[in-house]
Amino acid sequence: MIKDPASLAILKTGPGTSIQDLGRVGFGQFGIPISGALDIIATKWVNHLLKNKESEAVLEISQPGLKIHFEAPTQICLAGAKSKVFLNGNQVNTEGLIEIDFGDLVEIGEILIGSKIYLGIKHGFRIHPVMQSKSFYEGILGTGNLKKGDQIGYFTNHEKPISSSVNVKFDRNWMCSETIVAYRGPEWHFLLDTEKELIVTTSFTVSSLQNRMAIQLNELIPNSLEEMATAAVYPGTVQLTSGGKMIVLMKDAQVTGGYPRVLQLPELSIAQIAQKKPGERITFEIEKGFDFSKPH
Amino acid sequence: MVELGPNHTIISPSISELKWDWEISDRLLQIQLATKKKLENQYKSEIHEIRIGFRTLGILWNRLPDTNHLQHFLDENKEPKTSALPTKTWKIPVCYEDEFAQDLPQLAKSKNMSPEDLIKLHSQNHYRIHFFGFLPGFMYLQGLAEKLYSARKSVPDRNIAAGSVAIGGSQTGIYPTNSPGGWHVIGRSPSSFFDAKKIPPVWASPGDLIRFYPITKEEFFRLGKSHDQPNLL
Repeated sequence: MIKDPASLAILKTGPGTSIQDLGRVGFGQFGIPISGALDIIATKWVNHLLKNKESEAVLEISQPGLKIHFEAPTQICLAGAKSKVFLNGNQVNTEGLIEIDFGDLVEIGEILIGSKIYLGIKHGFRIHPVMQSKSFYEGILGTGNLKKGDQIGYFTNHEKPISSSVNVKFDRNWMCSETIVAYRGPEWHFLLDTEKELIVTTSFTVSSLQNRMAIQLNELIPNSLEEMATAAVYPGTVQLTSGGKMIVLMKDAQVTGGYPRVLQLPELSIAQIAQKKPGERITFEIEKGFDFSKPH
Repeated sequence: MVELGPNHTIISPSISELKWDWEISDRLLQIQLATKKKLENQYKSEIHEIRIGFRTLGILWNRLPDTNHLQHFLDENKEPKTSALPTKTWKIPVCYEDEFAQDLPQLAKSKNMSPEDLIKLHSQNHYRIHFFGFLPGFMYLQGLAEKLYSARKSVPDRNIAAGSVAIGGSQTGIYPTNSPGGWHVIGRSPSSFFDAKKIPPVWASPGDLIRFYPITKEEFFRLGKSHDQPNLL
């Protein structure tokens, strides 16, 4: 199999485009965030269809307007948020695989459902991992976000792939659900019953104050919790500030924090919340018991 | 004093936490480090990583073991055999001169002391590294003189330069990279505190001691050209 190096060029991009994989796990002891794709369901899906390793790095795209020039043939696959996609100016079907020829232009248009688009590429991106991950994080790898003029390496066999029959649809029902499953966080039991009740009955709005570190929710939960001695926090940890703000930590979150941790979201819930647009609503459903014997 | 063992809480299928209801102290850090080592040896293939907090060990599991087995193991190791904390002391050069110490005059004034006395108080203590957090390479330190405790700024600064030495609450710390922050900046070190190209990317370990020593602006720029990591005392 021929696997020669080729490059794609970012001709145009909004903020919030970066390379992400399943993250940099095990370096929190040095203060290094886990990072990685906010939606690992979509990440694994595109890699699966491309027959890549499921942990292969993908492009995470948060805004319409991204325009990419491909130097040489390959296959790409899109999942996560549903958007209009143009290949050399013509709108194409975004389900399944998309064949790319020499000099093709791909443009991401309006986002129709969800918030984050994932673009995977055959054999993955040609990036040297830092601490076992290709995930961008400023000061560790890359500049945080991709910008106009950046080039990223991939692999080509110089031949345009024959149109494949893979045309399975990415299921987006889970993305649209407003119910977010959450475990009780370490400081949950310090909440008053009325405060607990308010957390599970409030329909929260996802605010526009959001990035790869955290997403804030609009509605406040007045509370009597005290700040605590700094302790570990993770992607999916929901902090409650003394001012009542609910802060959902995302993949680039700091590794420790001092705000009480009232909830802990599992991966699927992190992906769900990451796929909400500002203004969309969510409700937390507490998962009380779980089977400890099963691997996560 | 009766020393209570830690409480273990399973938070999610991949996260659990050990918490000690003790005062933050060298003794607790000794126990945390000993417990961390025990867990890492016993559950090598099940644990991704253990993060130290001031009173906690956060455990990220690759696969949770049988919970009865885990609880039994923790009960048996409530009072682990501890080793003495390191006496290793890193000497960190800090320039406390105006150019790098934008909040020093104001802070000294609010404490009714001269800037010289503040510098003396800050640079005479030994500080214990408990863990890294907040930013890559940021050390959580204990040992700040109580006289220097200062509430964090209500409006954080948008950009604090890498190497800035600052005071916030009951802590002092060094910003390893440029970052927003709400602490009072009293100086700057020319040392490097984080290098992603190295494994490990930091030169110190939890349990080590550090001490700050004042340098002039000339020394700051001279050291800055070749300075990599601080020397041991």
